[in-house]
Amino acid sequence: MISGIFARARSLWRGVSRRSDVDAEMEEEFRAHIELRTADLIRTGLAPDAAARQARIEFGRPERFKAEGGASRGLRRFDELGVSWLDFKLGFRMLVRYPGLTLVGGLAVAFAIWVGAGTFEFLGQVMNPRIPLAEGDRIVAIEVTSATDGRQTPRILHDYVDWRANLRSVTELGAYRSVERNLILESAHAEPADLAEVTASAFQIARVQPLFGRAIVADDESPASPPVLVLGWELWQRRFGGDPNVLGRTVQVGITPATIVGVMPQGFRFPISYEAWAPLRLNVLEYERGQGPAISVIGRLAPNATLDEAQTELTNLGRRAALDFPATHEHLRPRVMPLAKSWLDLSTGEALSLWSINLFIIMLLALVCSNVALLMFARAATRESEIAVRNAIGASRTRIVTQLFAEALVLGAVGASLGLAAAGFGLRWGLGIAATQFMDGAPLPFWFRSTLSPSTVLYVGMLAVLAAIIAGVLPALKVTRGIGTQLRQASAGGGGLRFGGVWTAVIVTQVALTVALPSTAFQLRKDANRIRTLDVGFPTQQYLSLRLEMDRDASSATSGDTSRAAFLALFAERKQEFERRLTNDPAVVDVTLAGRLPRMYHQWNQIEVDEGAVEPLDERGHRVSSTSVAEDYFEVLRTPLLSGRGFNSGDLSSGARVVLVNKPFVDDVLGGRNPIGRRIRYIANEDDRRPRDDGPWYEIVGVARDIGMTSGYGRAGIYHPMVPTEAYPVYLAVHVQGDPNAFEPQLRATAGEVDPTLRINELMPLDEVTGGEMKFYSFWFRLTLLISSIALLLSLAGIYAVMAFTVARRTREIGIRVALGASKRRVLASIFRRPLMQVGLGVLAGTFVTGLLAYGINRMEVSPRGAAMVAAYAVLMLAVCLLACIVPTTRALAVEPTEALRADG
Amino acid sequence: MSDQAAILPGTLDLLILKAVSLGRLHGYGVLLRIGQISAGALEIQQGALYPALYRLEHQGLISSEWGTSDNNRKAKYYRLTAAGRRRLGEETASWNRLVDAIALALSATPQEVG
Repeated sequence: MISGIFARARSLWRGVSRRSDVDAEMEEEFRAHIELRTADLIRTGLAPDAAARQARIEFGRPERFKAEGGASRGLRRFDELGVSWLDFKLGFRMLVRYPGLTLVGGLAVAFAIWVGAGTFEFLGQVMNPRIPLAEGDRIVAIEVTSATDGRQTPRILHDYVDWRANLRSVTELGAYRSVERNLILESAHAEPADLAEVTASAFQIARVQPLFGRAIVADDESPASPPVLVLGWELWQRRFGGDPNVLGRTVQVGITPATIVGVMPQGFRFPISYEAWAPLRLNVLEYERGQGPAISVIGRLAPNATLDEAQTELTNLGRRAALDFPATHEHLRPRVMPLAKSWLDLSTGEALSLWSINLFIIMLLALVCSNVALLMFARAATRESEIAVRNAIGASRTRIVTQLFAEALVLGAVGASLGLAAAGFGLRWGLGIAATQFMDGAPLPFWFRSTLSPSTVLYVGMLAVLAAIIAGVLPALKVTRGIGTQLRQASAGGGGLRFGGVWTAVIVTQVALTVALPSTAFQLRKDANRIRTLDVGFPTQQYLSLRLEMDRDASSATSGDTSRAAFLALFAERKQEFERRLTNDPAVVDVTLAGRLPRMYHQWNQIEVDEGAVEPLDERGHRVSSTSVAEDYFEVLRTPLLSGRGFNSGDLSSGARVVLVNKPFVDDVLGGRNPIGRRIRYIANEDDRRPRDDGPWYEIVGVARDIGMTSGYGRAGIYHPMVPTEAYPVYLAVHVQGDPNAFEPQLRATAGEVDPTLRINELMPLDEVTGGEMKFYSFWFRLTLLISSIALLLSLAGIYAVMAFTVARRTREIGIRVALGASKRRVLASIFRRPLMQVGLGVLAGTFVTGLLAYGINRMEVSPRGAAMVAAYAVLMLAVCLLACIVPTTRALAVEPTEALRADG
Repeated sequence: MSDQAAILPGTLDLLILKAVSLGRLHGYGVLLRIGQISAGALEIQQGALYPALYRLEHQGLISSEWGTSDNNRKAKYYRLTAAGRRRLGEETASWNRLVDAIALALSATPQEVG
């Protein structure tokens, strides 16, 4: 039994894989038979010629036995399915012969595959990151979480020392921490850099050699050694212009001068995303258990050790620590995980919901391909006679479907190649958006790359086959249904094919999309424009905006006090000095400070008012922005108050609790009533969504104009007085005379003079602060526009194909009707009825969806202008779609009755 | 009418297995051997032999290899496999039962039925 199955499989495999060999062997065997028989016949006395003829007659027709032989080997099915080169050649010929279909179908498939490949690759990199280092999958991170609140505990210096001494299944343990420091060169201004302080062991885990110079070594960790710095390639290029003599140069890293000892190769940003590395100098004796700086611990799994073994060993060490030091360690649970997981640890549910995005992409592909299927169907239908004839002379239905599949596969392959070629570009775009959206503009970890993995290429191959099945096999099955009876009909001149309800549904969906998507896109555009062009009532282009920060160790270095209060006090002092020097600069008109500047994104807060508030629009209550501002804020921004008073120094005392509100607050929350003297308090905010009702009340003392506070929930906002020793970090608005950009170097230099540890981030003219948001909006705007154009193109092509098909089908009928005296109007009406209905339905559905999105979900007010725009767009769509009907219709009406009677359908 | 009998459908496989069981043979040899062991009583269309050979090989009942014939002609030789030998035994037994049963049925006389 088993041997039988095995023999069959082997013989089948041989037959399929070496078909021509098998055929040649059969022919050779038949020849041998006939020759042997001839020789025997000659021996019986026949003349050689006669003997050979006799032998051939006795043998029978070799071709027949060859075919039967193939069937004996179970090869018949393969003969029927067998996709030959000819099919593909035919497929290519079809691409050239029908350039319209090739262009539309190819572009559509390419687009769907482009989106699919990019999404699959990105999700793959997020969920199954591959660390592009030698044995990168064995690099692990060790974290400690508290069992009581599930939070990570980063002060694990003592544990790190324990693990280094005792952990066997993880070797090469090292520690690092992120620090942002100003990098100050002798000849240039200060600029912050993303720095990692690493132990030599942590640095060596990557097993990457420096481009030149040396890496961080163990000696560097000693406080007695001179401070050193290793540069990343990108930073070396940006700040040092790729200077080959950079080794030995001294730069100021915050308050510390350090010597550059090495440059790492391009792309090296280990362990996460750093630009330069300094030694991590930790003296464990200086700190109590559970104290000390926040560090991250990484290592490599020992040879042959598994992650589970490492976890078991670590858990045991954790238990021992809990026994030895119950006060600090009883609730702590150490955990080992792959390096990438320490950056992003997705729960199974989150991972699943992320993966499901791929399903949506496949649905998009299916939708796109069902359109291409429509076109392919129309084309196949024009070849109906050809197909019927082929069937009559022996091609089976399977054979014909296979050939149409091959044709679609050629189209799919062209689309897939285009999509793949563009995928890298799309991925870069997506990674950039991801960085600005989720990382506040910080770069993604080094293991994200904009190249495609082999599994993505494989996935694209599968998508292409799926596309070919939908776009090729489905229409082929429909066209060849009841193929035996078609030959009769085709020759009699009346086609048996009709476009059914499915095609109608596809076209209606399509048209609906082309209506709904651009409306959504333009809504996005409108939002973006509103943010960008928001008239804040003062000349923002004359102001420079910047975020001011300071190195955390600055205060401990000057006074030895490591407390946060000491740090904030020093920061307040430096900030004031910086402000003073700027104000004295002749190029500066004025300077002011705030927690957030106009037009920046503000966090939302849910508030309540003691009395006089209008009913909120929905259960989300009154959500408003809030920020703190300096006393002179409105004065510097040339924005006089509308009523009430501004802040004064008395408001800074802790019992004062006064706020200003803006005009939208008065309109939206208080319905235009006088706000002065009313009180508000906070009940929830963006970070802490749990409502609370014990917050302090604040009295409203004044009203400011709307200068652009936005939180995503309207423009109402509240201003608090800024307490200098509490605000960190702060934004500065510097009113500059002349071009703000030209003042940047001077501004950085001033900051450096005040204190080298003062860091300046997000330095840009105030009218550009919405750049990140703009990028996001423009991404979605472009993507929606692209999808809409593809949908529009497809529906036009689809409607054209269906019309052309229908008219061609009915040429005979139309001719006869015209000949019998039917008016052109009636003929036209009968042709137009169906596409008109489809387009009309689609436009209605699209308008409905748009309305639902805009007014139902986003709670926009129904504006006559918006409604008129949607209506105008719907009419435009209707007109454009009808345009697609014109060519086939004029063709039909021009038909001469005699010609129509000759037409064979 | 010829004195040769057309073979019953389905019996060609059995004949081939039997012929090959007596020694390694090429296709033409199988034909000669069947003629020889049936004393020329069975008529087989020569070409039809090959699809049957391939079928048996596909089922793993016989195996093949290329060799040289007596007059130095390259030819493909077939031999019985272990599975083929088992099948031949089963088929022979079942054939004999059938023949006995048919013979018995055909030899029935009116007396026996009566």
